[in-house]
Amino acid sequence: MGDFILETVEKEHNRMALNVAALAGDILLASGAEIFRVEETINRIAHAYGIDSCDPFVLSSGFFLTADSNSDQNFAWVRHIPLSATRLDRVTAVNQLSREIEHGFYTPEEAYQKLQDIQQMPAKRNLCQILASGVGSGCFCYLFGGDPVDCIVAFIAGLLLYVYLLCVVKGQLSKIATNISGGMFVTFIAVLIYQLGLGHHLSEIIIGSIIPLVPGVAFTNGIRDIADQDYIAGAVRMLDALLVTFSIAMGVGLVMIGYHHFVGGAILP
Amino acid sequence: MSVHLIFEFLTAFVGTIAFALLFQVPKEYYVNCGLAGGCGWICYKLLLAGCGLFGSTFFATVLVVFLSRLSAVRRHCPVTIFLVAGIFPLVPGAGIYWTAYYVVTDQLAKASDRGFQTLKIAVAIVLGILFVFEFPQKWFRWAERGTAVGN
Repeated sequence: MGDFILETVEKEHNRMALNVAALAGDILLASGAEIFRVEETINRIAHAYGIDSCDPFVLSSGFFLTADSNSDQNFAWVRHIPLSATRLDRVTAVNQLSREIEHGFYTPEEAYQKLQDIQQMPAKRNLCQILASGVGSGCFCYLFGGDPVDCIVAFIAGLLLYVYLLCVVKGQLSKIATNISGGMFVTFIAVLIYQLGLGHHLSEIIIGSIIPLVPGVAFTNGIRDIADQDYIAGAVRMLDALLVTFSIAMGVGLVMIGYHHFVGGAILP
Repeated sequence: MSVHLIFEFLTAFVGTIAFALLFQVPKEYYVNCGLAGGCGWICYKLLLAGCGLFGSTFFATVLVVFLSRLSAVRRHCPVTIFLVAGIFPLVPGAGIYWTAYYVVTDQLAKASDRGFQTLKIAVAIVLGILFVFEFPQKWFRWAERGTAVGN
């Protein structure tokens, strides 16, 4: 009887431990971590809780996880993780938590609670994000050769871009539609302000203000996944980066065509 | 010239931090992100005349990734948070724009020129990242400080 209870407790412990490992992997993958980090974290947590063999197979859009321990029970998880926004704060928090688990600071139940807290972590306020997009656009406009007046225009365009993304799109459009329309929107604003007589270099203004759309995370992570020989995940992320880039270019191009028809001829310096 | 460079450094520094914020990097890491971005950009600018587009992008990327790995070891956190923001000034946003612009204005020769150039910059960034990630982790251990949990 005593053995039976002990076994049940152990099973329960293992099941919870694997829940923790799977949730940690889930959060990491959804927040834009590299594949090898997801695998490493799942393994680290599983081993810290004394699970003998744990095999995660991680792709960019989900993962499979099987595990078995001394007791006769086997575990299997399949999780699908849809693409979502980059949340490097969550990546940092889960990474820190997994190290603490390794040092034996938490029981599986406590760790699970902590992970749920991490999932609830609020994003930066919309106002901050909008301002950051404006400041980023202005700065990059300067770096790419704009003068101070151009930077102000890029600042406004970048600002409005995030107002559009956060308040109008709200993540409801597909990625391609978001980026085409975002590129169009930004170019339109830039052209409009330029036509009103503010700003001297239209090209630099547009270059500065499309920068917030550029898929830096997908590109960098894609390269790193390929370097780690996670070819499938890497290829998917590179394809994602490429598609987003084409979408932005298409958005800019479409408005440019309209602008040329409207004004006529090549008018840009 | 040097005043101009300092100003560019500051702009890249601030711009990088703005993007770090957009990717929700916790704010205690902003300075490291900004340094990586600013130093990368200055390196790119200084080498541009001597090494050309490909070389300067490559070496600037190497510097950014190196600084990111250093920061990651020093601050005990994932390298991604510094790398993603720091690499931004080098990403060929201008190339994307000019390629689209020349396609739209029917200057196809120039468009393919620009498109090819953009691809070259992207390849330089790829090589730079791959190169520095081949360095063994122990080369960065000296930068570690403190005994915080999670080295």
